[in-house]
Amino acid sequence: MGTLCCVGEGAGGYRSLADQLRSWPDDRLHRLLTQRSDLATPAPHDFSQLASRAAVRNSIARALDGLTRGELCVLDALVVAGQTTPAELVELTWADPAFVTTTLHRLLDLALAWESPEGLRALTGVGDALTGGSEGGASGLRPRSVERRSRADIDAALDVLEPGARALLEHVVDEGGAAKPGAARLGLRPEDAETPAEVLLAHRLLVPGGSLQPGLLVVPGEVGLALRDGRTTTAPIDHEPVLVAEPRSPRLALSAAVGAAADVVRRVENLLDWWATRPAAALRTTGLGVRELRAAAVHLQVDEAEAALLIEVTSAAGLIATRADAEGNQVWVPTEDFDRWRERPPAERWSELARAWLASPRLPGLVGERGPDQKPWNALSPELSAAGMPEAKAMTLAALAGLPPGEGLASGTGLPSLIARITWQRPRRPRTRPDLVAWAVAEAARLGITGTDVLTDYGRTLATGDDPAPLLATHLPAPVDHVLLQADLTAVAPGPLESDLARRLHQVADVESRGAATVFRFTTESIRRALDAGWTAAELHAFVLAASRTPVPQPLSYLIDDVVRGFGRLRVGVAHAFLRSEDESALAALESHPKASSLGLQRIAPTVLVSSVPIDVLLPRLRELGAAPVVEGPDGQIRVGVAEGLRARAPRTRDSADPARVAARHAAHLVSVISGLRDGEEVARSRPASASAPGGGVLSALREAIERRGAVLIGFTDHQGVINERAVVPLRVEGGQLAARDRDAERDDPDADRTYAVHRISRVVPL
Amino acid sequence: MSDGPLIVQSDKSLLLEVDHPQAADCRKAIAPFAELERSPEHIHTYRLTPLGLWNARAAGHDAEQVVDTLLTYSRYAVPHALLVDVAETMARYGRLRLEKHPTHGLVLASSDRAVLEEVLRAKKISGMLGNRLDDDTVLVHPSERGNLKQALLKLGWPAEDYAGYVDGEAHPIDLAEDGWTLRDYQRDAAESFWHGGSGVVVLPCGAGKTIVGAAAMAQARATTLILVTNTVSARQWKDELLRRTSLTEEEIGEYSGTVKEIRPVTIATYQVITTKRKGVYPHLELFDARDWGLIVYDEVHLLPAPIFRMTADLQARRRIGLTATLVREDGREGDVFSLIGPKRYDAPWKDIEAQGWIAPADCVEVRVTLPDASRMSYATAEPEERYRLAACTPEKSRVVQDLLARHAGQPTLVIGQYLEQLEELAATLEAPLITGQTTVKERQRLFDAFRSGEIGLLVVSKVANFSIDLPSAEVAIQVSGSFGSRQEEAQRLGRLLRPGDPGPDGERKVAHFYTVVARDTVDAEFAQNRQRFLAEQGYAYRIIDADELSAGQL
Repeated sequence: MGTLCCVGEGAGGYRSLADQLRSWPDDRLHRLLTQRSDLATPAPHDFSQLASRAAVRNSIARALDGLTRGELCVLDALVVAGQTTPAELVELTWADPAFVTTTLHRLLDLALAWESPEGLRALTGVGDALTGGSEGGASGLRPRSVERRSRADIDAALDVLEPGARALLEHVVDEGGAAKPGAARLGLRPEDAETPAEVLLAHRLLVPGGSLQPGLLVVPGEVGLALRDGRTTTAPIDHEPVLVAEPRSPRLALSAAVGAAADVVRRVENLLDWWATRPAAALRTTGLGVRELRAAAVHLQVDEAEAALLIEVTSAAGLIATRADAEGNQVWVPTEDFDRWRERPPAERWSELARAWLASPRLPGLVGERGPDQKPWNALSPELSAAGMPEAKAMTLAALAGLPPGEGLASGTGLPSLIARITWQRPRRPRTRPDLVAWAVAEAARLGITGTDVLTDYGRTLATGDDPAPLLATHLPAPVDHVLLQADLTAVAPGPLESDLARRLHQVADVESRGAATVFRFTTESIRRALDAGWTAAELHAFVLAASRTPVPQPLSYLIDDVVRGFGRLRVGVAHAFLRSEDESALAALESHPKASSLGLQRIAPTVLVSSVPIDVLLPRLRELGAAPVVEGPDGQIRVGVAEGLRARAPRTRDSADPARVAARHAAHLVSVISGLRDGEEVARSRPASASAPGGGVLSALREAIERRGAVLIGFTDHQGVINERAVVPLRVEGGQLAARDRDAERDDPDADRTYAVHRISRVVPL
Repeated sequence: MSDGPLIVQSDKSLLLEVDHPQAADCRKAIAPFAELERSPEHIHTYRLTPLGLWNARAAGHDAEQVVDTLLTYSRYAVPHALLVDVAETMARYGRLRLEKHPTHGLVLASSDRAVLEEVLRAKKISGMLGNRLDDDTVLVHPSERGNLKQALLKLGWPAEDYAGYVDGEAHPIDLAEDGWTLRDYQRDAAESFWHGGSGVVVLPCGAGKTIVGAAAMAQARATTLILVTNTVSARQWKDELLRRTSLTEEEIGEYSGTVKEIRPVTIATYQVITTKRKGVYPHLELFDARDWGLIVYDEVHLLPAPIFRMTADLQARRRIGLTATLVREDGREGDVFSLIGPKRYDAPWKDIEAQGWIAPADCVEVRVTLPDASRMSYATAEPEERYRLAACTPEKSRVVQDLLARHAGQPTLVIGQYLEQLEELAATLEAPLITGQTTVKERQRLFDAFRSGEIGLLVVSKVANFSIDLPSAEVAIQVSGSFGSRQEEAQRLGRLLRPGDPGPDGERKVAHFYTVVARDTVDAEFAQNRQRFLAEQGYAYRIIDADELSAGQL
């Protein structure tokens, strides 16, 4: 607040924005470069360039995008005021003085306003960038004239206006402060004026736009202010819309959220396991076709909207990617990261998905809707994203986190109030905000971040950017290490299974019902599959006995034996081309088989045969002989069986999804930028005062002059190739053109405004 | 997370851990709205279905109670979508009501205009309705009361029937409780039915459904029409009614293929009613023959389709359905719900068995290996012949003899599907045979002799599946069945579960239920179905090889 006091006392101010920035301590610069990150890339040489960059239209627009409606209103008041003191600014805005001062501080921090010797000013480009009407914080008033009439004078003029003229004036002010003159004549005295417009012109309440708005009549800012009783707006600007919330049962809310979270993890794993063996065909545009989406929804027993969300989140988390299948068609399959992901505890798995979702600009909510070309949007199609989505998600969670614990959005009115609040917080972008927020709320519920629209405690952690896994883990049921076997050949896991046990159970039994618990069913096929995967009867019996907390039902033991009865017993080794079997007589039979002579079989132990034939020849020959061999690896493990699911390489663009790493990298960058600036300053100091450096130097000098509203001497090459010099007051730089006014021109000389091509200007000397 | 006994799955199944201390309370709490699907030894599976939830609504439970019950007993988080679905489903019942209007008669009324508009726009329904009385009320043709309810259920907006019942022609009927009393669950069942107006009582085979029917008649005290599956069953109903109630021989009529008596209490068979001659049902008049005050449907799960259509016209009369299972092989559970009524009473088999009202059973599957010659002929047989070939293998007869030797002296039934096989067995075992061709009189005689102990062994075909009361049977040997039908399995097991008197040692009998199956054939595949059913009902089930049997290990 110290700086502001200085200004209020009229004791200071800076010659230019660059000067002001130069005077800032490092931490304040750091704040600026953090909040307006575009200023730091590429690193600016010196403060002139930094200040110049801060005044570029695009950069200003980006900075404004991050302001609330209240902040935009204050900034607008600053633009209307032209240059002012903090005290006057408080008077001009209809808001709590504390709000105005805080906001002003923030605007200065953002280098959207600066302290000139004459008073506070907004950057020149701000006025043009403040668009979007009252929703966007623009009051619609023009900047006050430099030489303006006193308030009393204007009030007197307003008082004598007939109602028609006053209504017209109010209309013009409300519609943006500019109007076409039509047939109205200029330069009349009040008593000669006939139409309301002429009356206003005569009273100088409406004046010609001059060179900036040629052919238009404008209402000077001070008149607009007088009409609005000295304030820029007709309503208070610092009233942030409140969320309509209602209390919910905390238990129900948490249980709903945790249940959904557990479901999400389970379904993603289920889907990817499925896609690993039956990859989903990708469209030519890499999207996922309607048929594949529907198949996935059916497989997961969810609706298509939820399937689309899961698939998008999975993709955002880098768990799926496309690759060519055997026929060369592009298919979606799990990435290697999936293997790493599935090894982790459920809470961490969820955390990874949820954080990927939070950072993802994807719009699964649109899947199935028809686009502008009447074609339905496909999941995973590249265009299905919106840059504003991550912000909408973050703001939604932040808004929900602002509610007291146990309160959620009220049904019906809650969502509109949330949209209103977020629109107030970020009024400028984007027009689809209501949709984005509604999707964010729906998706957060589906992912289990919220339950009955109450943000969970781990959801709060997620919203603040921390890892929600530890908190979520406390809510998730502890994994169980056993199943209950029943006589109807089912095994019920009364809770989430330990991953190792789960994987083995999946090999030997089919899943019948999924959820918090899992119901497995042993069937002839599932046992046979286990045998195919290398299990032996003894292992199966031992496994079911070990896994079960209850006695193994007789029908299950019988089933296992029954299936084993008809299953092959041979194992074949790759490394040494050996055959071994517990069944000695089978080996003997094989060895002495008349058709086996070409295999070069030789018995090296009662249960082991070796063959001189390569394994790829040996295997089919053995099968021809009616044996059912299985391949054994060098470590003694069975190698056949479970077909390896296809994997694609994980996309390496995922670094941006890790907020911590991004933040660290960004901070390091800023530190180097700031030290670079200071170094650049040393260099600049040794340069002559005239900025003759090409490109950036001229531009910076011109922009600085614009902000100062000061005059410069420019040297430029004219159309004849002659080098000229002229003292001008630069007005704006845009599209490579400088608009400037001759310094010594008369105030109302319309020809004094000229444009110069910036690339022809060779030097700029401040006057 | 609480430590409840219940796990709610997202596919709407509920897993109940029976060994949990709260399991009994939980079972009681969820029974009104969840259908018991399987009850093996450790974890029982219930399922939430729209019909089950509407049954609960009809019994006066609301969605909040259901949700609360689930949350109270659930061990883990309950999927939110499921709770929403429960609430929405339950809210659908009773939005529409059938009422009796003082001046206009039967009307369809609704408190939710949008729903009424929706159903009025349905093509199937518009024909059943008359003029619109006001925004919320529409006239209903009285004859369409049943059809309308059926159609509304299909649309997912089941109507609650408040239109009441005609009293019917009064007729005094009392229970004659001399030397026996109504068991608690029988009394509860009859009362639940009476207070509900119409509906279905689900009790296991052998639990005394006939007596529940008699108790309902004693409540109604009106002329009664009883619909049963076949003539033998009709006779048994008659005997039972004579024994249990004040009715006399003259008051009970039989309406079957041979006899056509219409008396204050008339017992008719499904078969005679559904007989069609020249495109019409000549025996439809039976329904209008008297002003019936109560209609009893025995074995509702077998009710043939034409009877549904006839029942649709009888909606003003009280109806009670009796069955051991609501599962219908034809999937018409919804019609039972809309036409007979919601489930009014249900008790799991095991509970009643635990109370000693039905006998515990020991179920064993015996697998025989086909000799090579048979295997060859099996392998080359036409697919439709295979089951018969496998089921009728002569190997089975040796196993039956072994089993009979093991249970010498115990009353035994040998049950089969194929007549040739049964005839052969009867000849080998020198036992009387009852098939569809056996005259009713002969059947009666043989059953009576079996009951009295004169005959210790009967070979019966599927005629014995239903409604034949053979309390003395202790052993049943099933040699073939109709393609693994679960319903048949329930019925056959039911033959055994009627508890006899305690033996001299005070021990109640343990029923033995054997199924003889040919290994590696479709017979074994069908057996798996039956095996699963029995295991799901909670019966201990073992599989043994025929060789072990002859070797004397069991």
